[in-house]
Amino acid sequence: MERSPVGLDQNFSGAAGVFAALLRGKGLLVPAIVSPMAQAGTPQKVWQPTEATTILAFKFSGGVLVAGDRRATAGNTVVYDRADKVLEIDRHSIMAIAGVPATAWEMARVLEHSFQYFRRTQLQEMSVDGKVRALSKLLRDNFGFVMQGVGVVVPIFATYDSHPKPEARLYFYDAMGAQFEATDYAATGSGSPAVRGILYYENNWGAKPLHKMSEDEAVSIALRALDTAAESDTSTGGVDRGGKIYPLMKIVSREGITTLQESKIAAVFKETVA
Amino acid sequence: MIEEPYRWVEAIANRREYIEAQLAPGSPIAALGYHDGILFLTVGRTRQKLFEIYDRIAMGAIGHPGDIERLRMAAIELASTEGFTRSAADVSLRRLVHYSLSPVMKSAFEQVYGPPFLARMLFAEVGERAEKDLFLRVEYDGEIATNGATYAQARRDFAVLSGTRQSGELMEAFLKTQHVPDASFEATLNSALDAWSIGHMSLQASDANQLPERDDVLKYRQDQLADSGIEAALLERDAKRAIRYRSLSDTELRPLIND
Repeated sequence: MERSPVGLDQNFSGAAGVFAALLRGKGLLVPAIVSPMAQAGTPQKVWQPTEATTILAFKFSGGVLVAGDRRATAGNTVVYDRADKVLEIDRHSIMAIAGVPATAWEMARVLEHSFQYFRRTQLQEMSVDGKVRALSKLLRDNFGFVMQGVGVVVPIFATYDSHPKPEARLYFYDAMGAQFEATDYAATGSGSPAVRGILYYENNWGAKPLHKMSEDEAVSIALRALDTAAESDTSTGGVDRGGKIYPLMKIVSREGITTLQESKIAAVFKETVA
Repeated sequence: MIEEPYRWVEAIANRREYIEAQLAPGSPIAALGYHDGILFLTVGRTRQKLFEIYDRIAMGAIGHPGDIERLRMAAIELASTEGFTRSAADVSLRRLVHYSLSPVMKSAFEQVYGPPFLARMLFAEVGERAEKDLFLRVEYDGEIATNGATYAQARRDFAVLSGTRQSGELMEAFLKTQHVPDASFEATLNSALDAWSIGHMSLQASDANQLPERDDVLKYRQDQLADSGIEAALLERDAKRAIRYRSLSDTELRPLIND
């Protein structure tokens, strides 16, 4: 029987529940690159991180707040000022991306479908550890492109874990796929050093630690942090006061994901930042 | 011997008889479209019979668990690949069944040296409006029955699956008079339970070709529910969420049953 993407494959691999493997089997996903090293004899390129953006996430009293600026750049050019870098993967998971959008959005798509495919075929939800690991694997598979200077992605992953102890969980990654669980906050992208400084300072010497903050206070800190990052980093949009473009913010909690209304962000901005 | 045409016909007829006998005890499944979506329901004690296939598609099946599992995996695989490469809106139940599942089941059934699929399946796809709901029943030989895509048949907003033809026909006859598309969830749930009971009663008494009395149905239903669990799933019409499938637990349904 011939194998085509819409043909029924008698030797389907469904039992393992690995969606990425299924896509590769059908030739719908770039094969994983086994050796990421450039071939001998070709000039070695020094890898420059080019994740030009700022995203941040921290735990507050109502879950995890994930925020990202809206600017997309190519070199010195601002390509788009309404980019969506905070992506919903499933009802309780958010992936926020810094890096090459084409690769990042593709990764988010693969991830979203992987979780659903696993649930549907295996008749159970994938565990948080499994989800975190799945993203790590995608980054690892992508490392060949990173070494060639294209396709670097450095994401943050926020989710709500119901087992064993119900709590919001936050992870950040490096471009090779190593995952780190963050206790309080995470930030990546070109503007992240400034953001990390602010969040560290607020968490230790601010009026109250990040995890005790109310939603409004959390939104205010996120806005200030992104505005600070945008001050010195040209690749970060921060808040566009003229165009009234605000960062995108989502909250992960036990109830699921809530996207904050722009009017609400604007109100907090007007009151505490502008 | 199979090279001779009439031997082949005989082999197919034997095979059909064998499969029908194997499927005959299968507990019925009813799928009813109503205002807020489609309710899938069966009552049972053993394994799971209702499954999520894709965002808007669900499946119920009777037959051999191994065969059901292979077909279920194939359907999920096809829908997921389609949804990934194009979009979730391009995943269509009609195409899934007509172009992929049915031909494969037909050829497995007719190749008399290979094993056929011992399964009968009921698929439903929830639409934007009740008129857009699609129900498809696929037989072990690839035969497809639908809820009124043909000119001759009036559209129906329900579909049933059962071990025997007679049982299925009685369930349909009951639902035709009892079920209305704008019914509430509670009314739909009770109609589905009644339909299941009528179908199951028919499986126990093979000579029953009339709808049983109302009181008998209620009594039978009560007896069965006393030691079996309700398995139900919902495809919600609410467009706010991409994934419409939700399984319903026995405990959340029991209070809504009129005894």
